[in-house]
Amino acid sequence: MRKIWLIVKREYLTRVKTKGFVIGTIVVPLIGVGFALMTAFLSARQPTQTFRMGIVDQSGELAASIRGSMSAKLANGEPEFSVLQTVSRPPSLSAAEDQLREQVNSGALDGYLVIPADLDATIELHMRNPDNLRLIAPLTGAINQALVMARLQARGIRVSDAGDIFQSANLKLIKVTRTGESVERGQTVGISIALVMLLYVALLMYGIITMRSVLEEKTTRTMETLISTVRPFQLLAGKILGVAGVAFTQFLIWMTALALVFTYGAFLSAMSGVPISGVHIPVSLLVYALIFFVLGYFMYASFYAAIGSACSNEQDAQQLQWPATLPLVFSVVIFGVVLSDPSSHASIVLSEIPLFAPILMTLRISVQTPPFWQIALSIALLLAAIVGVVWVSAHVYRVGVLMYGKRPNLPELLRWLRYS
Amino acid sequence: MNAIELDSVTKAYDSVTAVDAVSLNIRQGAIVGLLGPNGAGKTTTIRMVMSILMPDSGAIRVLDQPVSDRTRDLIGYLPEERGLYPRMKVRDVIVFLAALHGMSEAEAGKRADEWLERFELSAWADKKLIDLSKGMQQKVQFITSVLHRPPLVILDEPFSGLDPVNAAAVKDIMLELRDQGSTVVLSTHRMEQVEKMCESICLINHGKCVLDGELRAIKQSYGKNTAHIEFTGPDGFLKHPSVAGVNRFGTGAEVKLKPGADAQALLKAAIECGAQISRFELLEPSLNDIFIERTTAHA
Repeated sequence: MRKIWLIVKREYLTRVKTKGFVIGTIVVPLIGVGFALMTAFLSARQPTQTFRMGIVDQSGELAASIRGSMSAKLANGEPEFSVLQTVSRPPSLSAAEDQLREQVNSGALDGYLVIPADLDATIELHMRNPDNLRLIAPLTGAINQALVMARLQARGIRVSDAGDIFQSANLKLIKVTRTGESVERGQTVGISIALVMLLYVALLMYGIITMRSVLEEKTTRTMETLISTVRPFQLLAGKILGVAGVAFTQFLIWMTALALVFTYGAFLSAMSGVPISGVHIPVSLLVYALIFFVLGYFMYASFYAAIGSACSNEQDAQQLQWPATLPLVFSVVIFGVVLSDPSSHASIVLSEIPLFAPILMTLRISVQTPPFWQIALSIALLLAAIVGVVWVSAHVYRVGVLMYGKRPNLPELLRWLRYS
Repeated sequence: MNAIELDSVTKAYDSVTAVDAVSLNIRQGAIVGLLGPNGAGKTTTIRMVMSILMPDSGAIRVLDQPVSDRTRDLIGYLPEERGLYPRMKVRDVIVFLAALHGMSEAEAGKRADEWLERFELSAWADKKLIDLSKGMQQKVQFITSVLHRPPLVILDEPFSGLDPVNAAAVKDIMLELRDQGSTVVLSTHRMEQVEKMCESICLINHGKCVLDGELRAIKQSYGKNTAHIEFTGPDGFLKHPSVAGVNRFGTGAEVKLKPGADAQALLKAAIECGAQISRFELLEPSLNDIFIERTTAHA
């Protein structure tokens, strides 16, 4: 035990003391925060310019009504749409369109609407920048409102107060969980995606760190000296625990920073009296995520360590690491299926398979907590798989650390398992 | 007491038998040469003694105990393939490896400073290994193999890469270790080093121990069958029927005599032939000759 402890200590200290660790600890969350801020900024950005448009109305009935329904205002108080020109029942559609198109090209207008004589036919919107999806919803709303009004009028129903009639329904989404209900604003999906990505990156990153650590001892021939005093299993165990300690330290720093930010935010909100609509993450989810991360780490780190021990150089290791990387990548590729229907047979089966369980079971728990027996079964299977993977890895490792030269193929690796 | 005992030890990899029923005893408190051509099974034997590998059959005892994790810590090992964590500091590496051998870190630190002083490396104690020259790294690695005062030291080519001053220092330390009662196993291809340092040898070839015992006794068993002759003038006498082999050099020749040949007859033939003889000496064969004879005869 003392030897394992010495190896853990060395592995931990030499990693934590490097510049790479300090930079990684600071830079990774900064990149994360940067991405989040950028996304929030881009999605929250309000348009500041009025959309100047023309209307060609072949029916001659709708233009005025559409203009009346365009009540949307920009953040700076300007109207969102402004109809500068209306051509009602033009003698020549193409001439009217040509004239408007010219104005769009010269920059006098941003676009124009073509309304057919038959109100049930397609309405066209011509514009310079059709990617501007933000305009579609309010414009469609205004046109719909005008169309409905026109149809009602055609049936002899007179409407005096269109604004009240077209007041939208207010739909509020509430997530039901065993612990109660919480208002859903898209945060479940957000948290789920964040968790999946975090688990994926962490399992992959720390797995590869373990692999490279084994490889470094082989390529520098430090292994020759080490195995004269420690058993390969002690070395393997010490290495995996040492890197786990590094991972834990890094997460602790990040979580502390996050807690400080939240505390500071809460303090500010208390001082100013403005309540913050903070994202609520259930503690049980965090605990499960931690359990699945730790178990997943032990499985994947042993897997990666065995790969490192079987190789003699970086290039071989790059080529041989796919068996460990593939299930991780698959978990991320398939996560949409589980996210959309977490209780389907496919989701249940996938989340019970040990190689996928760390990511997919955590995902299911975050979306819709599955029955406890499914979680327990997945943990039990994962534990059994860890025992198996560690056994195989320890055997490959024991032979691999002494082998140099050609990268072994599968039959050779299988033969290594039988060496004593 | 024996430092190492092998009792008909066999180890095979797939189809190759690396070590084949080897039995040998290495006495405690001596410097012993472990010799053999490349691929003879030396490294496999050493690894089994270190309990890195388990023998397929046979028994191994180290310092009168069956090999185990405990006996492993009693051995100091300098592998042929050198290398230590390149980004660790010199003193940290030494302390780490000594601690793995069971020393307290405080004690290991104290002894590390003494050894670094002895090898004039004190100024480098806080430098990373990667910043040291190859020779300096060699010295650091040698320190890690003897720092924990092991009763058994196995050194694989300990002099390679060392300048004459440091090679002499390593040689002195080997003698000191022996005088303190430790056993030193020297594995090397440099026969002149073995002749100077070792009291006994063990020669392995094709996984078998082909020669084992006191170096002096082995040489004596060959008899004085080698004539060292320094001469000028004609050398026709070297074709004399009693000559089994000739090794010419600038000032003369080393002549191997056939078994039972009469050296006096050769000397007589040389004089009759007209050679000016300045030296004629009968010697035991060199270890180099014995090595070549024993490893090629069994090939």
